[in-house]
Amino acid sequence: MRSLIIALAAMLALTAPAGAHAFLDHAEPPVGSAMQKAPPQLSLWFSEDLEPAFSGATVTDAQGHAVNAGKAQIDAHNRRLMHVPLKAVGPGSYRVNWHVLSVDTHRTQGNYNLTVGR
Amino acid sequence: MGRPWLRAGLLALMTYLVPLGSAFAHCVVGNRFFPATLNVDDPCVADELSLPTISSFKTGDDPAARELDISGEFSKRITDRFGVSVGSTWSQLRTPGSPTVSGFQNLETAFQYQLLKDATHEFAMMASLDVEWGGTGASSVGADRFTTTTPTLLFGKGFGDLPAEAGWLRAFAVTGGLGYAIPGSSSTTSTDPDTGDPTATQNPRVLQWGGSLQYSMPYLKSAVVDLGLPDVVNRLVPIVEAQFSTPVGNTIDSGTKTTGTVNPGIIYIGDKYQVGVEAIVPINRDSGGNIGVIGQVHLYLDDIFPNTIGRPLIDTSAIGKGN
Repeated sequence: MRSLIIALAAMLALTAPAGAHAFLDHAEPPVGSAMQKAPPQLSLWFSEDLEPAFSGATVTDAQGHAVNAGKAQIDAHNRRLMHVPLKAVGPGSYRVNWHVLSVDTHRTQGNYNLTVGR
Repeated sequence: MGRPWLRAGLLALMTYLVPLGSAFAHCVVGNRFFPATLNVDDPCVADELSLPTISSFKTGDDPAARELDISGEFSKRITDRFGVSVGSTWSQLRTPGSPTVSGFQNLETAFQYQLLKDATHEFAMMASLDVEWGGTGASSVGADRFTTTTPTLLFGKGFGDLPAEAGWLRAFAVTGGLGYAIPGSSSTTSTDPDTGDPTATQNPRVLQWGGSLQYSMPYLKSAVVDLGLPDVVNRLVPIVEAQFSTPVGNTIDSGTKTTGTVNPGIIYIGDKYQVGVEAIVPINRDSGGNIGVIGQVHLYLDDIFPNTIGRPLIDTSAIGKGN
């Protein structure tokens, strides 16, 4: 058992820094929040650096129509941060759907809801 | 004019050349992450190492023995959908009035195939053929001399697809498993310690069933509502596991009484590991003599070694496919 633990510790020590699955850490406006007025963009922070070419997000209204004002962009100075520009939307419920690829090729996806005008 | 085509071509080339080793990596299904559970297997093939898992409890024997188990399990994906796991357990038994005995239980392996992962409905299903190799452990700690094979079906279901009005209930998930343990020998012959005569004991075929009810704080924060709780709270998964065994065939000696435990506990989800601890509550006297405890450190090898042992031996997926 002791040799197994030593071997495990050695494996961990020899491992080059590596990423993990990129999960949504937090967002602005926060996940599930309700706001009086829609912001011009959403900001999503992830737990790992992202591959811009394979990461994106869409925002849809209750009828499923996209309300993005353009493609989601990974921040030039922070590869864990994604910006999603929004059209000027009215009151209603909106769903944010994101999909990302972390730099070590783990792919994850998710979604959450926002409410405007309440 | 040519550059967009060049970029599109390069992206297309990358799509087919860059492997996506973790399309089916540890149990992520859409929004949902199913943590590795301590008693009932989670419903996904994965590259994982559970080391150690330590449990302490009193057996259901009369008189009850104090049993300490220390085990490890290594799970490896061969392809994105097919994996193999190998596990071993060292046991120590302290029985009142008897000398303490210790040794390894039989070697256990599992051959697992990912049948389904439905991201939209947070549903996963896996088939597993579990084999306990008879004669590889010490009979002094109860290791059987015969091999037992257990075909098992495992599933996991998150409730994130409930309507938004369900709110915080969407962070709940359940997992379950149903297996049928088939002993390689219908009976075991031993020598009666009092008379010296040979006696035969029938080995039952056993239905093994159980599951878990879990509440994911990581899910609550990232997919339902961010309450601004401390990070350590946002990484917790309160859980109740339950596992039962019901003899259903060749039950002349064993009877058909169900034994099992209900295990309430909590799992902490780190970036590349998890730590879990649960109480072991026997459902009747035959299942245990008191409330025990189990703890586990579990490493996500696909996150720790994403480019070596953390990816399938035969990579059959590519970016844009799978999951």
